[in-house]
Amino acid sequence: MSAITDKRKHYAVCKVADLPPGQRIIADLDGRSVGVFNVDGEYHALHNRCPHAAGTLCMGPVTGTTLPTEHGIRKFIYGSEGHILRCAWHGWEFEIETGKCLIDSKVRAKTFKVSVENDQVVVHI
Amino acid sequence: MIDCDVHNDWSSSNVLLPYIDTTFRDYLLRGELPGARGSFPHAHRPWLHPEDFRRHDIKPTNDDEHYSFMRENLLDRYKPDVAILTGEEALEVSTLANPHYASALASAYNNWVIDMWLPRDDRFWASIIIAPQDPQGAAAEIRRLGSHPRVVQVLASHGSYRPYGDKFYDPIWQACSEVGLPFAVHLGGQGGINYQPIGGGPTTYYWETHALLLQPSMTHVASVISNGIFERYPNMMFVVIECGVTWLPSILWRLDANWKALRKETPWVKRLPSEYAREHIRMSTQPLEEAANKQHLWDVLAAMDGENMLMFASDYPHWDFDAPDDMQLPREWLPKIMDGNARQVYKKLPRQLVPNGTKAGGMS
Repeated sequence: MSAITDKRKHYAVCKVADLPPGQRIIADLDGRSVGVFNVDGEYHALHNRCPHAAGTLCMGPVTGTTLPTEHGIRKFIYGSEGHILRCAWHGWEFEIETGKCLIDSKVRAKTFKVSVENDQVVVHI
Repeated sequence: MIDCDVHNDWSSSNVLLPYIDTTFRDYLLRGELPGARGSFPHAHRPWLHPEDFRRHDIKPTNDDEHYSFMRENLLDRYKPDVAILTGEEALEVSTLANPHYASALASAYNNWVIDMWLPRDDRFWASIIIAPQDPQGAAAEIRRLGSHPRVVQVLASHGSYRPYGDKFYDPIWQACSEVGLPFAVHLGGQGGINYQPIGGGPTTYYWETHALLLQPSMTHVASVISNGIFERYPNMMFVVIECGVTWLPSILWRLDANWKALRKETPWVKRLPSEYAREHIRMSTQPLEEAANKQHLWDVLAAMDGENMLMFASDYPHWDFDAPDDMQLPREWLPKIMDGNARQVYKKLPRQLVPNGTKAGGMS
């Protein structure tokens, strides 16, 4: 999408080199706090405001979690390492790529498009 | 707005060294601790939060930051007029077998909060923590500090050696009555010498257990009413902090029904248990139950006269923090729950000049 047809505002938040895989930055974009995450080389941006209770979602740990098991079987399968964001307040878990909450996919953290332009990580709001 | 449950934590229990009795200073300095140097002496509960019970965005690294983070994330953000400090680990003195050491640690905490926390901010008011397994020592502590102008309540863990109406604790109630302070219990003390806080045996997981930790509070409510605490001390208030709320009406219905038939067992109980509760028991809101249908929650709260019995608490900085601007309560109840009720209980607080309880917002 070109900058001409994209009506969203573009915010350069950092240089590519400043956001290596596994890292995040939290930026104030005209009063809106946004977390930008590098997950395995791909950038994702989430509103730093949890849809549960308006907590500081993006300040929580980036982690993996236990994957669902079937039929009440009590075992632990750990996965999604680096793809899960736990809200800093109450610990609700979200998929960084989609903003979907793991306990209820209808609950979604707001996501923003991210691009790389001129060696800058750019958030589209 | 008044926040009735604000945790003033420390970076290390070494902060108590200047404040503890010299005999027990050696215990704290060189004695066995449940963790590394600087951890607090207590018999820890058997359930451990898998992600830490503190909010992840609040990780102070020194004692100044414990205050500055609180100022930024609670005091200046939500602007309570009053923050009632409830300590953190010090509540766990109730788990220790040695009542002398437990009381010494409680006294050290109380000295520390008065010396280091109260002067920092004019919104701070303190609870003094007691070691309830040492009723005589606790009573002495209550008399030592009860008249301090910024001390508003006596606090012990809800995990306990015996139900708090038991005559074992008579010295504590007597002392509270003398100094005119409420006796409060706060979630905690779920280990060591205290009876298992979960009926039926220890549950397995943290979240499962946390939902059930209100159980001892039911015991305490029944115990203080049936043992006639409020007949003996007509000025007494009993405050239940962080133990949930909606269980109260059903327990009171059951107590009322049983008392009508078996009044003869406790002739000193002269009125319906629910009447004593209305007058003498208050509950902090957090963690307020989250009902799928808000009206169901409100109906239960109305059945317990929630408008007059509840007092707002945030539980800052814990993982189940309730934000004061997002309370799921009827708007018309907010002036009392967010402010007025606490001023009735904590009589040292200044009278409210301009009603501002509604400024806290809330959903209706």
